[in-house]
Amino acid sequence: MAASNVQSCYQCGKCTSICPMRRVSKTSPRSSIYNSNVYGLDTKDIWTCLTCGLCPQECPQQVDFLSFVKEEREGKKYEEIAHKGVFSETAALMSKLNGSSVVTQEQKSENSNYAYFPGCVDFLDLFLHDVGVNFGEIATSSMKLLNHAGIKPKILPLKCCGHDVLWQGKKDVFDRLVKYNTKVINDSGIETLILSCAECYRTFAKDYNLKPKVVHISEFLKGTGANHKSTVTFHDPCRLGRHMGQYDAPREALKASGAELVEMAHNKGDAMCCGVSSFMNCNEQTKAMRVLRLDEAQATGAKTMITTCTKCLAHLNCLKNEKEAAKKYDIDIVDLTVYLARQLEAK
Amino acid sequence: MSFEPNILTFCCNWCSYAGADLAGVSRFQYPANIRIIRVMCSGRVEPAFILEALNDGADGVLITGCHIGDCHYIDGNKNAEIRINNTKKALAKLGFDKRLRLEWVSASEGARFAEVVKDFTEEIKKLGPNPVKEVKINE
Repeated sequence: MAASNVQSCYQCGKCTSICPMRRVSKTSPRSSIYNSNVYGLDTKDIWTCLTCGLCPQECPQQVDFLSFVKEEREGKKYEEIAHKGVFSETAALMSKLNGSSVVTQEQKSENSNYAYFPGCVDFLDLFLHDVGVNFGEIATSSMKLLNHAGIKPKILPLKCCGHDVLWQGKKDVFDRLVKYNTKVINDSGIETLILSCAECYRTFAKDYNLKPKVVHISEFLKGTGANHKSTVTFHDPCRLGRHMGQYDAPREALKASGAELVEMAHNKGDAMCCGVSSFMNCNEQTKAMRVLRLDEAQATGAKTMITTCTKCLAHLNCLKNEKEAAKKYDIDIVDLTVYLARQLEAK
Repeated sequence: MSFEPNILTFCCNWCSYAGADLAGVSRFQYPANIRIIRVMCSGRVEPAFILEALNDGADGVLITGCHIGDCHYIDGNKNAEIRINNTKKALAKLGFDKRLRLEWVSASEGARFAEVVKDFTEEIKKLGPNPVKEVKINE
């Protein structure tokens, strides 16, 4: 039996009816399972899948479509990866080189049981320089907020967490990264690894086998509010929400900061995806999904949309900065840590 | 046997490729370590191309384009400059930035093309082979 439980599929098609890609294209999770099970065929649908995690929630037979997609993609190559696969190439190069790391400045703070890993913010800044987001601010803001909460974390010289390469089917690269990172983390003697990126969080928590506890930064942010009155809405990244079940911590952190939280039409478990998890599909179909998502955000009347995933942040901002869209949407899309840290500074 | 590097070179169609052609026609000697790929503009070269080349074992990547202001597409090479510089910064984190170089070579600068290639080949020879090649894939 495969881990994905895909044999139990009885072709009801609930997955296809809920699939966000189905709104904008002819993707069908049901038929990709059928083709694989019955004919042993590959379909293009396993590559257009966003791995957003909506369909496993609905499946009456508990088919884990995410594992199915992961297994199907393994060892195969897809030519249409967004941004020509520049991030997975970087990760592949990094995995092969000794002494390379995502983190520029290693910070050794003695006697600290905590470590913080910012993820690939520096590379995002360099390769996505034109989307109008300062990704580096996520790392500095996170450090500020953690220091404010009385935590002085170490910054370990980790390589890329390997999320993107894993979901793009490059298992060999992922294995090399896991081997290196697991060793660094387990040898460092920390007890808690704090992450600000939803994708890193999912990967370290579920795909690694680590000794320390893996925690998302939103759990440390309850006391950092500055009692700043504003209306915000929260976009659940699929990795943080559906994959890890973490819906409440970021919301509580926002409420504690004095913000009035208004929910979009689709929220929490039903939240619509930004369409570009693991940099797989950044094309016209997923762009249509981002338009739908920004329409929902605009309809709430909130002036700020908070999220915690760099992919959501980059791609929603990229759409918003387009000429026509800039006229239509009057909403800022910022990271949770950046939002809270800016308040802290203004205090 | 001495180390002979493999250098991937991107030449823009309008200036540098003609420059390379002129170097050939004028019989300027330059090392035979470069493999030229012609692109329509240096702005066409994506960071992913460079990373993939290095990942697949190229010892160096050289990108040549028209001088700033001379671009056939008005500002393609300005975009190239931003992109390549950012890629260079990213490679610097991996300790790989010396293996990438951006140069401006116009169609009349055959001698300069030969000189650039000579210089870059020397530098790569000093750096040694790309360490990526030693990594076994199934390790």
